[in-house]
Amino acid sequence: MSPLPQSRGGKISPPSNLYTAVLAVAFGVVLATAAFVTFKCYTQYGTIFSLP
Amino acid sequence: MSTLTKVLIVLLTVFSIFLCGIVVTYVANATNQRERADGLQRQLRSAQASEQDALADLEQQKTEAEQLKADLNEQISQLKVAMSEVQAQLDQVKRDNALKEQEVANQTAAAQLANQTAAKQTELFESAHQNVEQLRGEQTKLSSRLAETDQLLMEKMSIIAQLQEKNRQLVESNQELESRINRVLQQYGRAAAPPQPVTRQRAVAEPATPKPITKDLGLTGKITVVDAKNRLAQISIGTAAGIKQDMKLHIIRGEQFVADIMILDADADKAVGILDLVQLQPKVGDTVTTNL
Repeated sequence: MSPLPQSRGGKISPPSNLYTAVLAVAFGVVLATAAFVTFKCYTQYGTIFSLP
Repeated sequence: MSTLTKVLIVLLTVFSIFLCGIVVTYVANATNQRERADGLQRQLRSAQASEQDALADLEQQKTEAEQLKADLNEQISQLKVAMSEVQAQLDQVKRDNALKEQEVANQTAAAQLANQTAAKQTELFESAHQNVEQLRGEQTKLSSRLAETDQLLMEKMSIIAQLQEKNRQLVESNQELESRINRVLQQYGRAAAPPQPVTRQRAVAEPATPKPITKDLGLTGKITVVDAKNRLAQISIGTAAGIKQDMKLHIIRGEQFVADIMILDADADKAVGILDLVQLQPKVGDTVTTNL
């Protein structure tokens, strides 16, 4: 994605968004997991970070 | 983008998905610790309440046990007292029983002795009865002999009476003859000597004459006339009251002795006597008595 290797004279390849999508999926999964854990903590203990 | 970066992106994504799956699974299946804690807290409170109740029950049970113990101790003491009384009564009954047994033994011995005595008395009665029968036989014999002796005695007494009659006739004839002899001999100034018995008189033992039984006459009268010159006096009782000649009476005046009076002549209702042992001058009205 960076244009620097191309300037060195290497093989030029077209930019791909596949790995960006994979990273987005991974981020979404982590975010959903965090939201689920937060929901469970709040519903069960009434607080998120402190001890009940 | 290098290959390594790509591999790392892919691996990061895979591990992220895997780790998130594990976390979600764990969180979804995790136990609600708050509810658990609340349950345990409730259980703890209920357990504490149960403990309090148990302690209260224990105290109540202890109190009841103490009360029951006190009651039982009181009952035990009462039972001990009752037992001591019963023991005393038992001892008394044992002593009474021993005494009764002793009395029974004594009564048995007395009964045996009485039976032996009765047997002996029966034997004595039989022997005495036999003696009585023998004595009755002897009495019958003696009675017959006594009847015979009485009959002989009557015969002898009739003979004696006849002999006495003959003796009296002989004495009368003897006196008549003696009087005739005396009349004849008086002409010559003599008298017949008293007859001498031909046979000697045998000394016959005679029973001692009993002393006459005397008694107080208790006659009492009054002086009616006094003749001091001739020492004579007349009294108010006579032969009708028992006064006889030569009887001696006492003249008294109250408690004082006056004189004695010896009866010279007695009529039916009066008597005259001579005074003797004159201590005071007798007066009309003085008492005359046979006994002082």
